[in-house]
Amino acid sequence: MTDNHRQIEHDAALWLARRDAGSWADRQQAALDAWLGENVAHRVAFLRLEAAWEESARLKTFAAGDMGGHISARGEWAHSPYFAPAIGSNRATTRGRHTTLRKHRRWPIFAGIAASLLIAAAIAGGFVWHDYTRVDRAAWETAMGARKVVHLPDGSTATLGSETDLHMAFSLGERDLELTRGEAYFDVAHDAARPFVVHANGYHVIAVGTRFDVRRDAGQLRVVVTRGLVRLQSAKDPAKPPAMLSAGSIATIADDDVAISQVTAGEAREALSWRSGFVVFHRTPLAEAVREFNRYNTRQIVIADSSLDALRVGGNFKLDNSDAFVRLMQAVFPVQAEQRGNHIVLSRRGAAQGAD
Amino acid sequence: MGSTVDDWFVREVLVHEQALMRFLHRNWRDHNEVPDLRQEVYVRVYEAATRRMPDSPKSFLFATARNLLVDRVRHQRIVPITAVGDIEQLHVMQDELEPSRWLGGREALARLARALDRLPDRCREVVWLRRIEDLPQKEIARRLGISEKTVEKHIAKGSRMLANYFHGGSDAGAAPGKTRSVRAWLGQST
Repeated sequence: MTDNHRQIEHDAALWLARRDAGSWADRQQAALDAWLGENVAHRVAFLRLEAAWEESARLKTFAAGDMGGHISARGEWAHSPYFAPAIGSNRATTRGRHTTLRKHRRWPIFAGIAASLLIAAAIAGGFVWHDYTRVDRAAWETAMGARKVVHLPDGSTATLGSETDLHMAFSLGERDLELTRGEAYFDVAHDAARPFVVHANGYHVIAVGTRFDVRRDAGQLRVVVTRGLVRLQSAKDPAKPPAMLSAGSIATIADDDVAISQVTAGEAREALSWRSGFVVFHRTPLAEAVREFNRYNTRQIVIADSSLDALRVGGNFKLDNSDAFVRLMQAVFPVQAEQRGNHIVLSRRGAAQGAD
Repeated sequence: MGSTVDDWFVREVLVHEQALMRFLHRNWRDHNEVPDLRQEVYVRVYEAATRRMPDSPKSFLFATARNLLVDRVRHQRIVPITAVGDIEQLHVMQDELEPSRWLGGREALARLARALDRLPDRCREVVWLRRIEDLPQKEIARRLGISEKTVEKHIAKGSRMLANYFHGGSDAGAAPGKTRSVRAWLGQST
């Protein structure tokens, strides 16, 4: 019943390689879908290869900015600062143009800057163009709890989350977007000559053919990169070195501090599960989980007793079903919920009598 | 593109592949059959998830693996039926190992780098140019002076080797640890 595993894996790899070759027509996608639908064994084999293949793009971290066709020697990774303990992940912008051992590691960030020069030049060029070329402008907004997929004129797509405002100004030299509120996920069409820049909270998030998410919260900005490379540049302080974010990076910016953590592509995707209407918690403090629901629901959950804030919540929830979430909290925690107008108030069970 | 079950499978199930492979290698004597067993486990888990998403993916994965081994043993009708009771003990294994991929991005990255370094020369070059430099297959063919078909073959082969090493922690499907004789009875059916 199963000794066809080799054959299936072989076929799955061929599909992956063919799709990867580009110029993938609807007809070919249909054939792939048919093959995947034929047998669950086909699907799991394909998912397995695809997951590793997608993940492998993260190796760009080592080569950021070094797109000169140089292939570094085996084992050269070991000299990357990535593998040295206690090095911040935003120092990940090293690469190996030379195959000699590189001991001088004092300026890795300059690799990133060098990589950015092209983009910067293109942006500068963009300003010149700006005056006398056509600029496509548009704006979109979503209501609370809504999600919307927007197809941009360059072939990129933006998925807008709850209560989001996005403004577009596309010109010949530059693809400019401004996120004034909320959260958006971008799947960027590759166009090296026209940088794709999202302005938000005093930062420029700059991409060339990539997928990433930008989210504004009160005073805070978060960028999640699921594919490719993104450059994060302070708009207020252009002299500040940019941070290069590779796939699997989550950057959180509060005030002027940028914290970058490296996660797996899977975890990065998880942070973006709002796109399919879900939210995933792993030992998430209740207060944070509640904030997540409140982003998407007019009926706001309020935690009346701050001693509940730190309870840890785990699981997959539908974002638009805060009732189910509240019910579950009551079932597993010493929590009771009370409807007050448009609010659901959570308090500690037993202790609540005296309150109010 | 991916459905919810697809995402779930990648995120919650595949990350345990290394532990799963170790479990199968320990409990099944014919190691050549392990990749087939793995596939069968994945099929069962995926099918179950399309009906209802398991609450605890990891426990479910290992329960499925255990049941599959029990089925196989029963099917072969060689191991005395009393021994099958012991198989319940197999679940002890499921907590032995947290997936190391979750331990952090750096660990995963290191593993990817090692996986890439294990590819044969030409294959490694092709995968490098495709994944790290983002060159289209066509351009890679031109640059290396080989046909596009050959590039495609290298990509296919590279993707398989990367997956085996990245998910399973081995490229040949060999047992990563020593085989425990405690469970050897399970494999005595041959």
